[in-house]
Amino acid sequence: MIGASLSRWTLSYFAAALLAFIGAQALMAAGFGFPNAPIASPETLVLVHVVALGWLSLLMCGALFQFVPVLVARPLYSNTLPLPALACLLSGIGALLCGFLQLDGRIAADLPLLPAAAALLGVGFTLVVWNLGRTLWSARPLTLPARYVAVGLLSLVATVALGIIFALVLGGVSAPAFAELTARGLPIHVIAGLGGWLTFTAMGVSYRLLAMFMLAPELDGLSTRITLYAGATGLVLAIVGGIAAISLYGNADLALAAAGAVGLLALGLYGSDVLHLYRARKRRKIELNSRMAAFALTSLAVAVVLTIICIALGALSRHIGAIAFLLAFGWLSGLGLAKLYKIVPFLTWLECYGPILGKRPTPRVQDLVVEQRALKWFLLYFVVVWLGTLMLLLGYELAFRAAAALMLVATGGIVFQLVRSRRLADVKADMRLPDGAHYPKLLLSLTPHR
Amino acid sequence: MSMSFVELDVRPILRAGGEPFEKIMQTIAALRPGQGLRLFATFKPTPLFHVLGSKGFTHEATELDGGEWEVLFTPSDAAKPNGSVETKSVGDDSAWPEPVQELDNRELDPPEPMVRILAATEALERGQVLSALLCREPIFLFPELAKRGHQWRGAFEPDGKTYKVFVRAGTAKAAVA
Repeated sequence: MIGASLSRWTLSYFAAALLAFIGAQALMAAGFGFPNAPIASPETLVLVHVVALGWLSLLMCGALFQFVPVLVARPLYSNTLPLPALACLLSGIGALLCGFLQLDGRIAADLPLLPAAAALLGVGFTLVVWNLGRTLWSARPLTLPARYVAVGLLSLVATVALGIIFALVLGGVSAPAFAELTARGLPIHVIAGLGGWLTFTAMGVSYRLLAMFMLAPELDGLSTRITLYAGATGLVLAIVGGIAAISLYGNADLALAAAGAVGLLALGLYGSDVLHLYRARKRRKIELNSRMAAFALTSLAVAVVLTIICIALGALSRHIGAIAFLLAFGWLSGLGLAKLYKIVPFLTWLECYGPILGKRPTPRVQDLVVEQRALKWFLLYFVVVWLGTLMLLLGYELAFRAAAALMLVATGGIVFQLVRSRRLADVKADMRLPDGAHYPKLLLSLTPHR
Repeated sequence: MSMSFVELDVRPILRAGGEPFEKIMQTIAALRPGQGLRLFATFKPTPLFHVLGSKGFTHEATELDGGEWEVLFTPSDAAKPNGSVETKSVGDDSAWPEPVQELDNRELDPPEPMVRILAATEALERGQVLSALLCREPIFLFPELAKRGHQWRGAFEPDGKTYKVFVRAGTAKAAVA
């Protein structure tokens, strides 16, 4: 079959991801982890991994199962593998979180939870990368956005490999050879995960999605290519160079500084590309998802500027928590929520009305949403994320918890709107289910004609 | 068994601003069993990979100097797509009638181009053809056309930005469950 069809388990990934997102915000509002606990404490590790694995990685995996086939105009290698992968990932995340709690003695240490987490997450992500990798491999040579995804997947492999090493060392299984890497390799794990896997993939995906939904020309010019090569070079410097430097000199500072310089070039070019997309768009009045994506992109820009200022003032280690918060919640989560608000209605529409398009009157995709209602939740979300960042910078812990509680409210509002669109609740009753339409299930997509 | 390749150089046609699609399809239709196509083009003909892929050809693309490409299309019975009826007989492909309708969907938001093409296709008589201009390859349209038993041909125009698709109304409308 030529072209792309619906990815069956994408919505299950989205649902699991959103639950983790809500859970993470509840933990922050309750004062669990940073800033109440130290940034390297087991509590903070729990919080960080609920966000990075539970929310952002599951969201990204679910999105890529649908989006990679669109990028390469080929069907997904397997529409079945995502389900066992999800089971491995969810149980692996559960084991990992409990394993962290073992580290500060909240859970008895007699169960090998961290090694179990390493195994389960290793298998889960291998299934994901295998599935997406085979899909990309069949479509070589790759288009530009697909190359970003390929680099992102390689970074995921590096992130998971380091995470497995850390988990085995902390779980008391691994050889002492990895002890040095575990002691000093944390920045590399974070850069590979947050920078390579999540940010770089999101950049590649955003190139295509923004162009598509704003009717802007596809970018494949020189600056987009340099962005790809500079970003990939920065990641190789940070990951390969960093690991080599640690094993040779016991210190990765130089490799990370070089990576940062190249990475900055990539981010600067990406920023100018994105501005160009917004300016060159043919569609003057853009949808909510594109407007909200602009807030997420602004958050990325602010986080980059903040990092440069902190480095110049020698205050990076003091404010790294605030910067990571802005990147995770303003940039990655903000972009994720904005694009979910387009992807969920679109997939629902295609599943429900695809078979009868052109045969009977059907609603438009935009009839599945009420943007005016969602707008206030998105605005609340971004405002409190920015306030929360400010509170972290200023060290007002209680005010930060209040911001986290408001984020939770805003997220709840957005999720409620997503469920309504999936349930066709905002479609006029006489249009909702014409003859031959297929009422979608909440958590998975079925293609009834296969 | 050794594979022999029929050579087709469409670079002169492309350089003159022409559209080599018809010529390529004629050459493909004239291939004998066990023959492949060696194609030379001034750009990488990605859309052609899909079109010929749907006809059971695998491809191997090599970049030449100056951004030009050489592509080997090899017939492979294993690559036959399941359930799609868009290219039932090779003789079908030699000549399609002129389009009875031409849509320009370049300024429409996705998925509106797909909706309009499907609606217009449903209104066609069997065997009639319509054409549509789009600003990207209509990825989700193709499976839907295949399910409904319609045939299509599509390719980017030489500008590399406009995608032109031809749809011929088919017969297997009962394919929709």
